[in-house]
Amino acid sequence: MKRLFSLPITGPAIATLAVALLVSLTTHRFLTPGNLNNLALQVSIVALIAIGSTAVIIVGGIDLSPGSAIALLTMLLAMMLKFWGIGFWAAIGFTLLGGAAIGFVNGAITAYLRIPAFITTLAGYSAYRGLAFMFNNGSPVFEASNRLEPLFYGQVLGIPLPLIYIVVCFGAAYWLMRHTKLGRSIYAVGGNAKAATLSGIKVRRVQLLAFILAGLMAGVAAVLMAARLNSGSPNYGVGLELSAIAAAVIGGASLSGGRGDMIATLFGALTVTIVQNGLNLNAVQTSTQNIVLGAIIVIAVGLDMWRAEIGHLLSSGAGSMLAVKGERRERRKT
Amino acid sequence: MEALRDVAWELRGISKAFGPVLANDKVSIALRRGHIHGLVGENGCGKSTLIKTLCGAHQPDQGTILHNGATVALHDTLAARSFGVATVFQEFSLVPGMTVAENVFLGRWPGPATSVGWRTMRKETRRVLTELELNISPDAILGELPVAQQQMVEIAKALAAKATAIILDEPTTALGVGEIAHLHDLLRRARNSGATILYVSHRLDEVVSLCDVVTVMRNGRVVSAAGETPLDVGAIIGLMIGREIAEQYPKVNAALGEPVLEASNLSTDRGLRDVSFTLHRGEVLGLGGTLGSGRSAIARALFGVERIVAGDVRVNGKPVAIRHPADAIDAGIALLTENRNVDGLFFNFTGAENITIASLGAFDHGLWLDLTSERRTSSELMRRLQVSRAAESKLVDRLSGGNQQKILVARWLNTKAEIFILDEPTKGIDVGTKVAIYQIINELAGAGKGVILISSDDKELLAMSDRVAIVRRGRIVRISMPQDVTKLDLLTGPEERQDAA
Repeated sequence: MKRLFSLPITGPAIATLAVALLVSLTTHRFLTPGNLNNLALQVSIVALIAIGSTAVIIVGGIDLSPGSAIALLTMLLAMMLKFWGIGFWAAIGFTLLGGAAIGFVNGAITAYLRIPAFITTLAGYSAYRGLAFMFNNGSPVFEASNRLEPLFYGQVLGIPLPLIYIVVCFGAAYWLMRHTKLGRSIYAVGGNAKAATLSGIKVRRVQLLAFILAGLMAGVAAVLMAARLNSGSPNYGVGLELSAIAAAVIGGASLSGGRGDMIATLFGALTVTIVQNGLNLNAVQTSTQNIVLGAIIVIAVGLDMWRAEIGHLLSSGAGSMLAVKGERRERRKT
Repeated sequence: MEALRDVAWELRGISKAFGPVLANDKVSIALRRGHIHGLVGENGCGKSTLIKTLCGAHQPDQGTILHNGATVALHDTLAARSFGVATVFQEFSLVPGMTVAENVFLGRWPGPATSVGWRTMRKETRRVLTELELNISPDAILGELPVAQQQMVEIAKALAAKATAIILDEPTTALGVGEIAHLHDLLRRARNSGATILYVSHRLDEVVSLCDVVTVMRNGRVVSAAGETPLDVGAIIGLMIGREIAEQYPKVNAALGEPVLEASNLSTDRGLRDVSFTLHRGEVLGLGGTLGSGRSAIARALFGVERIVAGDVRVNGKPVAIRHPADAIDAGIALLTENRNVDGLFFNFTGAENITIASLGAFDHGLWLDLTSERRTSSELMRRLQVSRAAESKLVDRLSGGNQQKILVARWLNTKAEIFILDEPTKGIDVGTKVAIYQIINELAGAGKGVILISSDDKELLAMSDRVAIVRRGRIVRISMPQDVTKLDLLTGPEERQDAA
């Protein structure tokens, strides 16, 4: 029991199940094959961006730019396909590369010029969307290519493609973070950058690589976004960075760095999406939806922070609650 | 009027359990006015728990707390503070950006709600500082003062607030020899004017020379109460660990070999000037001098933390360019830093992950880390250094200081290092672990490694080193045999202290 409670994914998985249960109680239209398929499509874009957000948060930064980067990248992709005569797969490749380049710019400014990540990516949030408006006189590019939509709506063996992207990307991200030297270094830099330097880790390079990963994932999300609507638009992706950060944070990532888990982030993304889906099914206004999402973020993070107490409460009764509190206070002091 | 030597605070039969661990088992202690009361014991003996009970951070399961003979309840730290319990922790509870006067009156500004009462505040502060013979301006910005003076301001704050008990927890770890003497003078003056002081320290020679009475704890119990403890280091160690310790500093002299590290005319732009020395295989070279004399700067330069602007470093006779700690590690240099909480430990990692972080290359197969072999290596090291088994899977913030330090030692043992720079390796750890660290130093020297030992504990430095280099103002002023080094050599003169300030 205790062991189960100490796993990083337990809390976020419970959160996901809890909201799914709540939503299915409010509407019978939630647990239908059609809606679940729709859910998988909806979650994919946020979830893929959240991979990058999680890596950047773990390394001790924050990325506010992916929503705007996606607008710019969908525009570039649509322009390449419709007006610039670039081959389909080459255009996809350039879009991913463009994402990585955006990540490189964010990372280089943050790590090597030592501008705080919040400021760098706030600037990016503004600038990348501004750039997106410089193409096609600022108008969306519709009907980019008839080969685009199958990338999003296609299926393999009856499995929707976005689901396959999720499994592949999260599998790779989990492996990267838990089974490679780079992943371990990302946790180390976020946990204690000074100690990481003194352990021989090239801290700035690791920070840069985390941002490049985030940019690359924004590129992947941009391809899906463009494919979903067969278009590019400077108005795509508004607010996606916040949903992605919410997913990471609900998944237990700590904004002070060093803590977070890719699979837990996936549950975080599911939680956010199910809440939005459930509110949509119940015809709740967008304004109310935003308020509910805000509340969910606070509750989820609170539950995660009090997990030690809750675990104790369940395993040994209410009596030990005080002891845990005392222990915590003690740790804070030392 | 309460008389001197009256009991100001008494803890009677305090018991406190954390889960299955009984941290305090019917502990009783009485603090008298005009006494400096020493509290000693190994890490994990329960003295922190006891202090935290007195300052309201812990609620005892059993027992009573008496103030001037009357039972009081300390529900939280605020309640304890309102009874005049003041604590001086290792990290200061002061605001670096404020003036000394503002800090002394922090949270109890003398003026009405609409004004801070600057004039009263400065006048009062000056009076308190003068009374303590401290030459510090009330208008100085706290953060710009040397650490030692900041700590004295913290004590002045406690006295100004008419504290009924002042608890000092390891107050001297950040101080140099001269500063410690100064602090002790200050405490003696405070005692003579009737203050009640509880002094907690691992440095037993300090405890013996400073304290009037000493309480010794072991395994959650008082094994020797105030009146009965002899003021003798050997006797206290015996009481602390429950057996006689054969030798406090078990130095073994290893055979000296070829030079393993040669530094010639090293300078940095942060104060190091023309530093030259040779470290041989099997040798322990001590670096002595006060805090800020440049001892740690030598370590930082050799490890690639501070840029070397002139001079060169040779390892095994070959010149090496060190621009980053990664270069130093590749060249076979290890640095155990002074502040494990600041730049040593990863609190988001388990003990095992903390050990392997500097040697991940050994487990790296490009696309994956060999986690099985990593786990095996780290648990072997933990067994060898007798680290608590919990460390393998628990985050390191749950471990005692001694176990944390052993984990950091294990981190460097697992690299291919031939040169070990140990900066204050026994700071804030208990006697048992200290001896374990000394034995590791012996083993390293015996295996033909070179060791550079930096320590503010001059007895340790002289006992464990084969040669001692005296560092002053960023220079090595001389290198001699330990028996030729006097306490005075390790101290700075008063004119130098003014320089530092």
